[in-house]
Amino acid sequence: MKQFTVDVLTPSRAVARNIPAQALLIPTSRGQINVLPDHTHVVTQLSTGMLSIFGGADDPDRHFTVTHGICKVLEDKIVILSNTSEEQHEIDLDRATRALKFAEDKLANEALDEEDHLKFHRKAERAKLRIQFAKEQKNRK
Amino acid sequence: MANIKELKKQIKSTKSTLKITSAMKLVSASKLARAQQAITNSRPYSEELETTIKTISALVNDYNHEYLVENKENNRTLLLVISANKGLCGGYNSQLAKEVRKFIAGSDLDIKVNFIGRKVRDLIKNEVNVGKSYTFEKGDATFAEVQTIANELGAMFKQGEIGRVLVAFNKFNSAISFTPTIRQVLPMSLDQSEKAELKEKFPFDFKYDPSPSEILDSLIPEAYITSMFTSLLDGVAAEHGSRMVAMDNATGNCKDAIKTLTIKMNKLRQAAITTELIEVVSGAESLNG
Repeated sequence: MKQFTVDVLTPSRAVARNIPAQALLIPTSRGQINVLPDHTHVVTQLSTGMLSIFGGADDPDRHFTVTHGICKVLEDKIVILSNTSEEQHEIDLDRATRALKFAEDKLANEALDEEDHLKFHRKAERAKLRIQFAKEQKNRK
Repeated sequence: MANIKELKKQIKSTKSTLKITSAMKLVSASKLARAQQAITNSRPYSEELETTIKTISALVNDYNHEYLVENKENNRTLLLVISANKGLCGGYNSQLAKEVRKFIAGSDLDIKVNFIGRKVRDLIKNEVNVGKSYTFEKGDATFAEVQTIANELGAMFKQGEIGRVLVAFNKFNSAISFTPTIRQVLPMSLDQSEKAELKEKFPFDFKYDPSPSEILDSLIPEAYITSMFTSLLDGVAAEHGSRMVAMDNATGNCKDAIKTLTIKMNKLRQAAITTELIEVVSGAESLNG
């Protein structure tokens, strides 16, 4: 079956490069999209969520968190540019729990301006995603 | 003539300098490795971001972002100088200061200089129009801290308070070499010939979601911040490389100095022994005589 490759890049590091894939689920700002080989050329905005890369028969499936960023589909090369991203096994559950509590405290108790409100809202979203993600992995084990 | 006691003292102090310089060299070497890693990690992202922006903006007609607009009449310029907080790193700070001086002398813009790092500010603060200085919580800046600075400068640019933003930093070539560089980060310029080339390369258009201008709106500030961040990473790596080389040279010099001092001391000691022996022998001779 036809394959394509995926790069997941963030400003601080390249999370994964040249992963072979046969299908891809991408969270975009208008809902999830599925990318299969020979997909049309697309540039979309990402939203916070889970990126799943399905390797098919020979390669493993891999899952990543992504936040704000863009995704570019160009021929058989897909590039994910995200502000932060980590693979499932890299997530630190304790840290995410602490971060969620911190962000929720801030949102609930302090008067924040618009920019900070957005910042902590995103932070909480990220933390929730990580927690959900890490728990899923535990269940699978 | 120096006596033996003095020479001994000198050797001892040179030895302790040697310890410091070789320790600093090792520290710089490991910091350099980390800084180099940081550069290689961030490079794929910034390159990909840049090509994406270039491609999209080449394919989309009539798009303009505030960060792309050039205002030729606005002469006010902000120069952000990225230097080190510490010295003992060879020509790192002085060469950058020289480059900044040359640039300011040779341009007719109204330049205000902001600083990251203390050293270059100390060198040129009496010659230029000094603006703000930024410091960071830990030694090296994080992405978020750079973002804050970049946003502040970006806001000034948007309001027309300044007409352009430049960054002066030492570009990291290799562990032993760097080049003082001054680069314009705002307004961003897109080469027209490059645009035409890209247009030929991509005869089709992408499907965009949301609209291409919205995507560019979010990408362009991102690219601006990233370009500033990579300049800073370059500066940090060049600093550690330069310090490593400087300390390596210093260690070599210390070793040489210790060698010559030891030879000098031994010669003096031998001379003293010889004179003493002659005295004893000639004294004995005279008694026998």
